[in-house]
Amino acid sequence: MVYTKKHPALLIMGIIFVAIAYLAESGGMSGMIDYLKAGKYAGEMVGMGYAFGAIAVLVGLWHLIGSHSEGNLDYYLSSVAGAIFILLIAMLIRWYLAPLVAVISKGLGPVMGAKYLHQVLGLNYVVLGIVAGIIIVNVFRIPVWAENGVRLSRLGLKTGVILLGTLYSLAELQSLGKLSAIMVGFFVLGSVGLVLFLGKRKNIPNSMGGVLSAGMGVCGVSATVAAAPVVQAKAVEIAYTIGTILIWGVGCMFLFPVVGHMLDLGHIQFGAWAGTGILNSAQVAGAALAYQPDGIETLKVAEIFNITRVLFLPIIVLWLAVWYVKQEGGDETQKVNVGRVVFEKFPVFVLGFILMFAMSSTGVFAPAQHYKGKYFDNNVKESKLLKDEQVAVISGEAGKLQREDRKKAINSMLENRKIMSIDDETLIRGIYNAKIFSKGANKVLKGATKAVRHTAKKIKTFRQWITLLFAFGLTGLGMQITFASMKQAGGEPLIIGGIVGTVKAVLSLIVIVLFVSESI
Amino acid sequence: MKVKKIILASHGTAGARSAEQFALDHCLENDASLHQLLVVPDFWKGMMGDDWLNNAITQSRFGDYVESQLAREAADELDRLTQICEQAGVNYSNTVRLGKPAACLTSIAEQGEFDLVIIGSPRPKGISGYRSRMDLELLARSLTIPLMIVPYPQR
Repeated sequence: MVYTKKHPALLIMGIIFVAIAYLAESGGMSGMIDYLKAGKYAGEMVGMGYAFGAIAVLVGLWHLIGSHSEGNLDYYLSSVAGAIFILLIAMLIRWYLAPLVAVISKGLGPVMGAKYLHQVLGLNYVVLGIVAGIIIVNVFRIPVWAENGVRLSRLGLKTGVILLGTLYSLAELQSLGKLSAIMVGFFVLGSVGLVLFLGKRKNIPNSMGGVLSAGMGVCGVSATVAAAPVVQAKAVEIAYTIGTILIWGVGCMFLFPVVGHMLDLGHIQFGAWAGTGILNSAQVAGAALAYQPDGIETLKVAEIFNITRVLFLPIIVLWLAVWYVKQEGGDETQKVNVGRVVFEKFPVFVLGFILMFAMSSTGVFAPAQHYKGKYFDNNVKESKLLKDEQVAVISGEAGKLQREDRKKAINSMLENRKIMSIDDETLIRGIYNAKIFSKGANKVLKGATKAVRHTAKKIKTFRQWITLLFAFGLTGLGMQITFASMKQAGGEPLIIGGIVGTVKAVLSLIVIVLFVSESI
Repeated sequence: MKVKKIILASHGTAGARSAEQFALDHCLENDASLHQLLVVPDFWKGMMGDDWLNNAITQSRFGDYVESQLAREAADELDRLTQICEQAGVNYSNTVRLGKPAACLTSIAEQGEFDLVIIGSPRPKGISGYRSRMDLELLARSLTIPLMIVPYPQR
């Protein structure tokens, strides 16, 4: 089969990218950029516009005038059209539509405390990208020339998660790993158990109980896809389950950020809640980026939870396989191939994440002692040293300190007008995290730590790529959510799913608000 | 109107079986032949949803599994009606299509020398099953042969 379609679409998209880059570079759209307050994206418009525009024009010409025959070259080059299609949609939203929504929303004034409507609803480039994807597939359909490449969105997300590995410190990974293992372990096993229990009460078939429990408990559609053949689910049971999960996932992606803003949850709290309470893993990332569009701290927490969930997947599938065979009266030792289940369901991309984390820890991307991609260097400019009035603010509050090590660190900073060592910096960060000083003094301390913390260039690049890969991946995944599949939600799975989904979301929120703090 | 060849859209639900019985009676009365159209709804193409965590082996296994399930369900349904028609002495043939039910039906109706289309009425609310209904407006606008809708059982 020849995959490449002789179509001018890719060439046209390439010209659009180049035109954007040219206009952004030459100042041709500076009026619009100023109006949208999108100046921070101008660099991206030029760099990405020229780079991806050139690729699209070249491959687009090949699509249009080349002669195509069956083979790997045809297959891989045909996917460029779909990938550029997703990228163009994602970037038009990131550069223009999302800023326009923000401008309009700010024009309406604050709606919740100091927060604007678009902040409360999480209407940023990620959520708008997913919505655009859903509209495109359901209203306009994916063009035939783009079908092959749209699947690349999965690769984009997995690459994003792998690169995310560079941004964790060992302590952070340990703390988040422990928290996610406890939370996910409790709620995954709890949801699976609750679905099986309710399924028994409502007399649903074992195959339906099995596939629904995996979907509700572990990671939504992905778990359903993994478990359906193992528990021999019937087609209608799969349709019910996936429909129910998609409706819940998309609904939660919009609802969670609103509740998070109402309760003023911190990034760790929200990431942990989304990572536990949202059924479908794609929407976990979407909700995290909706909650914090200009940073990836929430995404980092949510993705650790996602990874923990996916690591649970082979275990749950194995459990369900044994459970199903037992329920159906078979001999599990003969029928369940444990090795094959674990091997096939193991998420290989998690190894990539661990590898990137290990490389980052050795100092390949940033000095080895970096914290969240930032490293200590107190060779700061004269202008960044503490001013007299700032010294006076801190001196006035230094008496509030009890611990000797903290007193020493503050005195050393006041003497030198800058933080002198990485240990002092850790202690000073502890002082403002503990909110011992007044707001004004804390601001000075934060400024002092910021002056000696520098983001490694490679890490900065990774951060940009992670954001883009997630925007690309989630927009593409939106293009794979059809109303027809969501409409299949129904029957007992909708009732059981509704009960378990609500219990899981509410209980996990209570646990997080009560027991999870913002300092990890 | 002399009806010699009937097309029946049926996938074995209660409503479709009601239509099936009516079509069989009609065939026996008029010595007509029966052609069954079984449509596998095309929403299955998007049923992998937004899964991104699984590897290619798992996705392919799921695709093969769903395909085999749908094929088995279709084969069971066709076998069932084949046997009923054999026993009743009705000349029977069938077609299986993947797509939207109404579009498939109009396309098949255009191709054969059919005299009548028979379908069951939509499932009442609260009865479980796929949400893939026949677009009656499309049928009414597109069909060039008479359409008969048989009421749902016990209605």
